[in-house]
Amino acid sequence: MTLVAGLRAASYGVPFQPVGGVHGSDLARLNGWQTIRDPYGSGQDVYVIPAIAPDVAVIHAAEADEEGNARVYGSPFWDHPLTRAAKRVLVTAERLVPTDVLRLQPELTLVPGFMVEAVAIVPRGAWPGSMHPYYDVDYAAVEDYMKDEAGVLDAHLNEAPECKDQLQERQGRKGKTEAAKEIKS
Amino acid sequence: MPSGWTPFSYIVVNLARQIRPNDIAFSGVNSTLPMLACLLAKHAYDFRFTYLNVAGGVDPQPTTIPQSSSDPAIVAGSAAIFSNMDFYDLCTRGGLDLVYLGCAQIDAEGRTNVSAIGSWENPKVRLPGGGGAAVMMPTAKRVVTWRTEHSARALVDKLDFVTAAGNMSTLVTPIAVFQRPTSAGSRFHLESWNPDVSMNEIEQRTGFEFDVSNARPTEPITDAERLALAELDPDRRFAMEVNA
Repeated sequence: MTLVAGLRAASYGVPFQPVGGVHGSDLARLNGWQTIRDPYGSGQDVYVIPAIAPDVAVIHAAEADEEGNARVYGSPFWDHPLTRAAKRVLVTAERLVPTDVLRLQPELTLVPGFMVEAVAIVPRGAWPGSMHPYYDVDYAAVEDYMKDEAGVLDAHLNEAPECKDQLQERQGRKGKTEAAKEIKS
Repeated sequence: MPSGWTPFSYIVVNLARQIRPNDIAFSGVNSTLPMLACLLAKHAYDFRFTYLNVAGGVDPQPTTIPQSSSDPAIVAGSAAIFSNMDFYDLCTRGGLDLVYLGCAQIDAEGRTNVSAIGSWENPKVRLPGGGGAAVMMPTAKRVVTWRTEHSARALVDKLDFVTAAGNMSTLVTPIAVFQRPTSAGSRFHLESWNPDVSMNEIEQRTGFEFDVSNARPTEPITDAERLALAELDPDRRFAMEVNA
């Protein structure tokens, strides 16, 4: 939540953001967080978190159009504050849709295209995470990745959908899935 | 176990018993047992409450229970999505009645450490961090925690690091339920204990001192609780993780 407070400060264009709580936590000392006294006289001391403006936010969307308008179904988790706080926004999406489809329900568009620098269509791009409503978490792949053994990282990367596509291309075969391709630059 | 409790059932049921009618309750990341407790309470208890979770679910009705408590599958059946910023804001403005927050270490005043074992600068174990614990613990009305290991290294006299402090009310382990008033400086007292163990064993396995004068044996598991638990964990996947 202190992370969101920092992102909110950046998205509001102010140097810090007040946040509830934090009192009694060693995290304040560790991070150098300060309190300020309510200037309107309630007597409350409130922690203020410095702005966090990521250089780049990369979010994975369900659908996007060629302008970068991106739609997320289900829970958006951190996508909203991240895309507003970051200096640059990149979108990957499960599938490309015509802008006319997005116009039917503009309230489902999480980030408008004018904020997006580039969009790429990457089917199963959230793997081994989930992408609602297309696929669930691949727990077996996550557990394999967590093993403390040699070769785990390479094996994981070789299983990633976008790497499989590249492998197939290198081997001169046509992949069934659309290869990751940049459609806005 | 002569009492019929297992470590798994004792923790989940006693977490569920902390929910009160009309509560707005919340479970977060890495919180499978509280997730099961909230779903159990929906099945087993005859009162209304609201269950929110970290994936944005509002009174979800999942058909299968995901391995992770932050899996978007735990939103299934929700009529609304109440996502990260919404539930943190609800908490900090005083609207969450019951929040389940995890701990690696906990002290007698209910402060928790999920940051590091040993010093922060040179830790023996680097822990995952508090998520939103530092803002939620002082602002939720009641915080409930659990620990599958009841030992003097988990229930400590002094924390290695204070990740969060505030309105902790309840600690549940496989053998005991501790409570404290949420006022500053209050200490845990033993509320009830698993009748399969002795009071002496609980004292020996706890690193802080506590009052036992009002303690009693934990009420046995009810048929409704047992049935709900069996429905939620039909292949005993979750139970095996704790009971192993």
